[in-house]
Amino acid sequence: MVSRKVVVRNETGLHLRPAGVLCNLAEQFQSSIRFQTGGGASGGNAKSVLSVLGACIRHGDELEFICEGADEAEALKAVVDAVEQGLGEELSH
Amino acid sequence: MKKGTSASAGIGIGKVVIIEEAELIIPNHTTADVEGELARFRDAVEKSVKDVSALAADMAERIGEKEAEILNGHLMLLQDPMLTDGVENEIKTSGTCSEAAIESVFNMYADMFASMDDELMQQRATDMRDIKTRVQKKLLGIESVNVSALPYGSVILAEDLTPSITAGINPANVTGIVTELGGKTSHTAILARALEIPAVVAVGGIMKEVKNGDDIVLDGESGIVIVNPQKEVLAEYEAKKEKYLKEKKELEKFIGMPTVTKDGVSVELVANIGKPEDVDKVLQYDGEGIGLFRTEFLFMDRTSMPTEEEQFEAYRKVAVAMNGKPVIIRTLDIGGDKEIPYMGLKKDENPFLGYRAIRFCLDRKEDVYKPQLRALLRASAYGNIKIMIPLVTCIEEYREAKALIEELKAELDAQNIAYNKNIPVGIMVETAAASLIADIFAKEVDFFSIGTNDLTQYTMSVDRGNDKISYLYSTLNPAVLRSIQRIISCAREAGIMVGMCGEAASDPLMIPLLLAFGLNEFSMSASALLSSRKLICGYDSKELQSVANKAMSFATEAEVRAFMTEFVACR
Repeated sequence: MVSRKVVVRNETGLHLRPAGVLCNLAEQFQSSIRFQTGGGASGGNAKSVLSVLGACIRHGDELEFICEGADEAEALKAVVDAVEQGLGEELSH
Repeated sequence: MKKGTSASAGIGIGKVVIIEEAELIIPNHTTADVEGELARFRDAVEKSVKDVSALAADMAERIGEKEAEILNGHLMLLQDPMLTDGVENEIKTSGTCSEAAIESVFNMYADMFASMDDELMQQRATDMRDIKTRVQKKLLGIESVNVSALPYGSVILAEDLTPSITAGINPANVTGIVTELGGKTSHTAILARALEIPAVVAVGGIMKEVKNGDDIVLDGESGIVIVNPQKEVLAEYEAKKEKYLKEKKELEKFIGMPTVTKDGVSVELVANIGKPEDVDKVLQYDGEGIGLFRTEFLFMDRTSMPTEEEQFEAYRKVAVAMNGKPVIIRTLDIGGDKEIPYMGLKKDENPFLGYRAIRFCLDRKEDVYKPQLRALLRASAYGNIKIMIPLVTCIEEYREAKALIEELKAELDAQNIAYNKNIPVGIMVETAAASLIADIFAKEVDFFSIGTNDLTQYTMSVDRGNDKISYLYSTLNPAVLRSIQRIISCAREAGIMVGMCGEAASDPLMIPLLLAFGLNEFSMSASALLSSRKLICGYDSKELQSVANKAMSFATEAEVRAFMTEFVACR
């Protein structure tokens, strides 16, 4: 199991479009990809757009991705990089 | 006559076509053939996915990628493992039929979205219900409403329109949309604007008053809807429609054009806004920046002070959306005309001459002014923000505010927080005192913006809300014009930018005078931008000098008004 934290920089948080980009990417890996938001809330499944939307992730929130499985290292790098790059949206800085 | 929320500009005239989703009767039985039921569910999802893919592709081609996004979102939701697993589990564990399982699982997510404290997320509830109905219809063998083949001149009336339905709307035959529910940012409103179909939403009780085939007119600008109008009213709206279309075409030519007079004098044409959302309209009408962002909205209708963070988000949002164009943000202009208990603001005997704006803010540095200024400084790292201080009457007020800003800059430096070190700090010139010592201010401040509404009120000693003396409330009074001319020339002499953010900046009678005086920046409501650009581009500022000289030679407001009215009419 591997995990890493990343801060969401998307202007309006993870709404439908960026959440969709994240899920499509997560789908490509065998490993389970879960995420944890701050504040002790229970985590979600990065492969489910409903789960990501349901976490109501806003600009500035920190996410911790937890990957487990055969390709966990690549999966973790891919999702963290994608979030850092804005999931297809322009970032404010 | 009814009034709703304007959602898409234009005049719509036509015959009512009521769009109603047949109410689905959801069977609720159990089955022993779990495998068969699972297959039935999967088949319905698969077919729905196919339908939505086709709709999305059609939408992308016909209207645009951006408008198709919502349908692509539906595709993703339809195939979401949480959703499908949820339904399948319910079928497996209790043998529930697909329709009922879908009803409970989809509704659970719709309710989850509806309860979120975020407008974008709340809209997802509509999407969940929309796809729920779609899959259930597939299972029940009911066809979806098809609006693509309505006759020419149809005005769609509905309680609300789902994305699935709006996707089929053809602007060639739909001349208007009226819904009982919805809001400015709802999917229907966004699509209506993209398709340039006039639309009014949130018209309370309209569905009870219409039937298919009724005549109807709507004004997408004012939000007025009239069912079965009388002949004269119909004729009036037909004339309005023609005028609107003609003007629109005429004004559209000015989108993307620079605001330059015939003799090559460039001015900035910018907009006044009250909320971050207003930026959309500014960009739509090609505003070159924001000349006045009022910050009062952040402080109204609440029970506690907005935090620095909350303010920072709002300012940053506007700065980012304007993408490097200037954004002048006015610090809090609040006083005893409104009672705000959490701020300790009480009704003032004489609120406009009382404890308000900069006077109040400098007295409440720790809990009011510092958080706002810090938020503004931090937001300045994200765009071209300028700070404007309202209601200054003496230079000490400016100096004190400026010193506070310098103090906060040092604080941010120490904390390693980014901001624009050269952020311009200017004043709103709106008091007689500030006008009289404009020469003194011009040596120290970075810019002026003339607030003509208050300047007229203070110069003429007239309460603009009092009908009995409203004849005195006019910017064309020789006293007010002299004040404006003086403020502009003091700024020009000192080489600082001078703008105007009152209603006078878009007044056709004032524009020629302001150009002659040498005003650099005109700030107005977004809807006045293009018509003002058209006016400005048509003038030669040198020729206007003699017009201004003549206008300034009159002794009374009536003479100035008559002269300017004639000058404008003769062109």
